[in-house]
Amino acid sequence: MRDTEEYHVILFDSVHHALRSEKILKEMGIPHKLIPVPRHISSDCGICLRFTADLRTRIEEALAGKVEIREIRLL
Amino acid sequence: MAKIIDAKGLACPEPVILTKKALEQENKVTVIVDNEPAVENIRRLGTTMGCTLQMEKKEDGTYQIHLFREAGKSAAQPIEVSCTTGPLVIAISSDKMGRGNDELGYVLIRSFIHTMLSLEPLPHTVIFYNTGVKLTVKDSEVLDDLKKIEASGVSILVCGTCLNYFGITKDLNVGVISNMYDIASIMAAAGRLVIP
Repeated sequence: MRDTEEYHVILFDSVHHALRSEKILKEMGIPHKLIPVPRHISSDCGICLRFTADLRTRIEEALAGKVEIREIRLL
Repeated sequence: MAKIIDAKGLACPEPVILTKKALEQENKVTVIVDNEPAVENIRRLGTTMGCTLQMEKKEDGTYQIHLFREAGKSAAQPIEVSCTTGPLVIAISSDKMGRGNDELGYVLIRSFIHTMLSLEPLPHTVIFYNTGVKLTVKDSEVLDDLKKIEASGVSILVCGTCLNYFGITKDLNVGVISNMYDIASIMAAAGRLVIP
């Protein structure tokens, strides 16, 4: 039972930025999930936002100018 | 040829000690045991000693565990031989992990539950009580993870008194409603009890 969907994650330098992003995406009803940063990716802050690849543009636009993002990458 | 250790009928820590001794001399060891705790204890020993493992369940109820120690990995390091005799049980007693900050605690419990999916081996049972039950009802943000965990064969028990207290019994979306008799006896019989 593996996820076959392609996911991207947003990495943050601060947990607070991750939480703010989550709040914004929740308010806008954009599906996403807060998950621990996978072991093969490193980050100062241990949580990241995962979403399906097709939502990338929408999410980038939603967060632009509101939250500091370190990096968006393929999971 | 692998060295074969017949550890049937032996109680922990015997099978683990025999396996460890054999691995100190051989790179390939096959252990035969007749109970699941022994499998689990040997699996952990093997992982600690840097072995790759294969496990077969035989029709007569015994298990064969094949351990291959990679060349170059030292077997001489001191290793604690640990024994557990019951299943791994995880008790989620709150919809937060840790105390101090609720916003952070809610992030942590969601991360914990997501990570449970990749535990090796998976827990035998996950029990939810007190505000922990809020994670098992509709609109919970960890429902998809919990459903995957349940689909992997993990038993999920949810405290019926607690669902009733919060008035969310009808919203239960994963696991089965349980009572204190089951919850207390499963926790008491656990080999390891993890309460995040």
